[in-house]
Amino acid sequence: MPHPLNNQSIEISLPNQIGYERIAMACSESFAKMLGLSLERIEDLKTIVAEAAINAMQHGNKERPDTRVTVSMTFKDDTIHIAVMDEGDGVKELTPTPDIERIVNELDPPVGFGTFLIRELADQVEFDKTADGVSVVKMAIKL
Amino acid sequence: MQEVNEIKLETRDSVTIMDIQGDVTAFSEPFLNDAYQNANTQGTGKILLKFDNNAYINSGGIAVLIQVLAQTQKNDQVIGITGISDHFKKIFNMVGITKFAQIYDSLEDALQQMA
Repeated sequence: MPHPLNNQSIEISLPNQIGYERIAMACSESFAKMLGLSLERIEDLKTIVAEAAINAMQHGNKERPDTRVTVSMTFKDDTIHIAVMDEGDGVKELTPTPDIERIVNELDPPVGFGTFLIRELADQVEFDKTADGVSVVKMAIKL
Repeated sequence: MQEVNEIKLETRDSVTIMDIQGDVTAFSEPFLNDAYQNANTQGTGKILLKFDNNAYINSGGIAVLIQVLAQTQKNDQVIGITGISDHFKKIFNMVGITKFAQIYDSLEDALQQMA
């Protein structure tokens, strides 16, 4: 029997300013609670939504204040599908996994943790472009 | 939407506690650095980073914390962490912070073990 909220979706448009990702985090938390996601995975969901939104603001939209970031979430077949879109060239997929020992020894800069956390916490991650050429990071978390 | 962190310093049982109020993001850098430098000038060998249990810590904040850890390593200081939620204990373990700092379940536990 399908989940009563199967095929439901929400979408949020955010100003391109660090800090506004918290609105997307709060929305994702509310949506996930309605769907019955575990408390631990809700926290994971909030983190990946935040990190993807921050990446979109800083790297995709290049911190331009005249741009926006769109976060959409769709629940389908027991999976929460999240898409984070910017108005720029998108974010780099191939950021190397940060090596904390090299960073602490000041051999590498302290970067890459956002993408690392997305990869570690999401069940699926994909960096893509829509048919209109809009850059999108797609993530999924299963119930 | 810049954060302002109030960080109180207190010494108990030879451990300097950095009581970090608020969320920890890239904007926390000047506050954490200033607090660490103040702790360092006191000649402390043991520092406990105490966070708000409800604190939001993003990748920018993690990067700042790791930069502080780098300084503590240079200065041969022992670092403990307490007050973070189970979620961020998991995150800190994932990114490897636990290679350089022990996470304690409570302030009392930290002080007992670090003293």
